[in-house]
Amino acid sequence: MVTMNGSVPDRARDADAAAALTYQPHVDLRVEQGDVVVVADLPGATPGSIDVAFTDGVLALHAQVPARDLPGRVVRQEYGIGDFRRQFRLGEGFDATGITAVYALGVLTVRIPKLAAERPRKVPVQGG
Amino acid sequence: MRTTRPGSAHPLDELCAEVDRLWTTLIAAPPLHGWGSTPRAAFPAVNVRETDDAVLVEAEIPGLAPADVSVSVADDALVLEGERRTDGACPAGEGAGNEVVWHRRERGSGRFERRIPLAVAVAADRVEARLVDGVLTVRCPKAPEAQPRRVPVSGG
Repeated sequence: MVTMNGSVPDRARDADAAAALTYQPHVDLRVEQGDVVVVADLPGATPGSIDVAFTDGVLALHAQVPARDLPGRVVRQEYGIGDFRRQFRLGEGFDATGITAVYALGVLTVRIPKLAAERPRKVPVQGG
Repeated sequence: MRTTRPGSAHPLDELCAEVDRLWTTLIAAPPLHGWGSTPRAAFPAVNVRETDDAVLVEAEIPGLAPADVSVSVADDALVLEGERRTDGACPAGEGAGNEVVWHRRERGSGRFERRIPLAVAVAADRVEARLVDGVLTVRCPKAPEAQPRRVPVSGG
């Protein structure tokens, strides 16, 4: 609902937000020497609007994408705009405190390091 | 019915292992594709709006810096060109110590060129483009002759 001056009443905004569609971002997921790297396309988000959570072996990504209010009438609509949400079950053996997340150019990169104890350890063999 | 074969804990385990094998063989990044219903929809997907004095084209091109994309007007069309590179792509077999296993590869890469036909004449020299957080917004002001003209009605 939009008022005559173009502003959206707060209550309507909340209702719209609840009804808005959520989208699954395109992701790359790779394992580099045990570390999991997740790269997600989150165009239109901002670093402050992205929530990265790792709980019980599940990585959950959520990005709030503010509406982009462009003027005029729609001529062509090939994609929708809304929040991005996706999660991955990674399992055990990761260092939750060592997770890093960087957002740049509309792309989020999350690195979940493997626990040091899980890394292969090379044991030197001594001669006697 | 019991379908477990000797040597495998559960039929689903075998399926998982097979799917894992398939993923790891899909080393090459997929080509770019948009958000459309077909798997190879044109990239980038665009939303187009029109006001009295301009055509506004918006496209989602995450991963591209302003220098990676070119915007031009040619033959009554807006042309978006650029290239998205893969990131951190260590090809398989680059050395055992640098092992990378891909599990999902949905973000396409490569060169793209998309022509968006413009239904009205635009002032090519006044087109403005902005790229913020992976969202490209192009404002194409309409040529003066394409803008609606209000005709004053005089009394007699």
